[in-house]
Amino acid sequence: MTKQGAPALPAIEVRGLVKRYGSNTILEDVHLTVKAGEVYALTGPNGAGKTTLIRCLTGLAFPTDGEVRLLGRDVHTDGSRARAYLGAVVEAPAKFYPQFTGTQNLQTHANLAAMAPGGRRVSRDRIREVLALLELTRMADRKVQEFSLGQRQRLGVASAILAEPKVLILDEPTSGLDPLGIGLIHRIVTSLATSGCAVILSTHHLREIATYAHTVGILTGGRMVDTVDLRARQAAYRFRVDDPVGAASALERLPFVRRVSTRTPYAIAYLGGEAGVPDALAHLSNEGIRVFEASPDHFDLYEYYRERVEQA
Amino acid sequence: MLTLITLEFLKLLGSRSARLALIVCFVLPLLWAFAPRLEVLMKVAVVSGWQIPAISIGIAVQFLIPLFIAVTVAEMIGTEVSQGTLAPLLLRPVDRTTVIASKLVVALAYPVLLVGVTVIGSLLAGIPRGYGEFTGGTGMGPGLFVGVGTLTSNQALAEVLRGSGLAALMLMPIAALALLFGVLLLNTAAAALATFAALNLMRLLVVFPETIQRVLLTSHLNLYAQQTDITQPLILLIIYTVGFGLMAVFAFDRRDI
Ligand SMILES: Nc1ncnc2c1ncn2[C@@H]1O[C@H](COP(=O)(O)OP(=O)(O)O)[C@@H](O)[C@H]1O
Ligand SMILES: [Mg+2]
Repeated sequence: MTKQGAPALPAIEVRGLVKRYGSNTILEDVHLTVKAGEVYALTGPNGAGKTTLIRCLTGLAFPTDGEVRLLGRDVHTDGSRARAYLGAVVEAPAKFYPQFTGTQNLQTHANLAAMAPGGRRVSRDRIREVLALLELTRMADRKVQEFSLGQRQRLGVASAILAEPKVLILDEPTSGLDPLGIGLIHRIVTSLATSGCAVILSTHHLREIATYAHTVGILTGGRMVDTVDLRARQAAYRFRVDDPVGAASALERLPFVRRVSTRTPYAIAYLGGEAGVPDALAHLSNEGIRVFEASPDHFDLYEYYRERVEQA
Repeated sequence: MLTLITLEFLKLLGSRSARLALIVCFVLPLLWAFAPRLEVLMKVAVVSGWQIPAISIGIAVQFLIPLFIAVTVAEMIGTEVSQGTLAPLLLRPVDRTTVIASKLVVALAYPVLLVGVTVIGSLLAGIPRGYGEFTGGTGMGPGLFVGVGTLTSNQALAEVLRGSGLAALMLMPIAALALLFGVLLLNTAAAALATFAALNLMRLLVVFPETIQRVLLTSHLNLYAQQTDITQPLILLIIYTVGFGLMAVFAFDRRDI
């Protein structure tokens, strides 16, 4: 189905997902799409349904209605193929056989990954490599029952990235981790996404996620109340000027400006990137508008989230 | 599939309940073979080592081994759920059917293991009584312990092998039932209890007409010593095993984990 060179089909596609337990509706008509290379952060208050959504996404739970496709294959009817390139951790902390060592647990996962239709072998070197990446080399040959919470969490991420996934789904991967551990997970996720992996992760660390996620989905009470495109938000620059309205209409005429708005005393423009700033400044001064200050208009995801959740 | 079966075996042999069960099955014959009142209870003289396996199996098969099977097989699902390791397994590109089928294979092998260890323990315990030709029966052939004359070592061995094979086979439906309850209840204690309750309930049905009794699983837990035609009970027990096994597979297929 997925021919090379064909228009890229979304790596993760959720359509009309509904999940009920008895008469309780936990998820209501959830839609979402994640493309290859995109980092999608899922956030929302406790009990919003993030874990339930992730369990439906990975095929652990069966939706009452709707469908989930991973790399074009239905995860509930064609599970083993849909999961061929999936790496996932759905519980925090990640769970392993406590009686086996870290290496043995990863070896088991490697063997299971190789059972995929057209499955690839995962070498011992790869196991050592991911253990080193997650800074677990020292614990490799200790039984998992001796691991700390954070170490289990790291081992979880190690097992998720073990078989070089094209779809990575992580439920609260950073909970229980120390600050350096959180940074490490974020770096790993970013580098995987750069190499074309689609990522969904649920998190409460909004200000950090805002620095590298591309899209943020806000889930409250089982509804996806908002999907924020952070890439578009981050390309915004604000100019403190004497005439914001005049500045906005002047900026709008520039070819690389996508959208303008005003927030007195600022004119806000969505430039392609910071390379557009000098041109915008030159243009404004040509138009006779005096600029006192120009800076990125940081989008405060936390504030935005608070407003959205309180409204909902 | 082999990967999963190996994994299941490793987990089984690593589990405390299985280890305990195997030790008990091994030690029990050694205790009984040297028990002072053994012959009073048996009402016949125990003259050969070949008779010990039937004695041990006879003791263990009604209560002890079914209990071991119910608990350990229920644990194959229950422990995975409680320690959270079932989900990571299902996140890998394997069919649910393959996962549960591997568990079923190992669950069905468990009675073979328990009976095997019981027989090995019994044969060790029988060494002082010797393994030569003797007059009497093995307890698993014609005439049971009394026998029908002289038995050569080879004949006795054949009877013991046939009897223990049948004993393992007749315990398999219990393993399949425990797995089914494991999938339905996702909890070790509940599934083990349900299995045991179901067996005892069937035993209580002795008050019902014989036709009903004949199709009950529990009416055939003496298959290993039965000397009349065993085709019918054998088929029935296989139907039970396959039936419970298939139900477990289907129940697992769309279960939220
Ligand atoms: N197996 C279940 N049966 C019934 N209700 C459930 C089950 N799992 C989760 N829920 C309910 O679904 C809601 C969402 O839970 P969850 O997805 O864990 O939220 P989150 O991960 O966003 O904190 C909660 O109200 C929870 O009580
Ligand atoms: Mg959660």
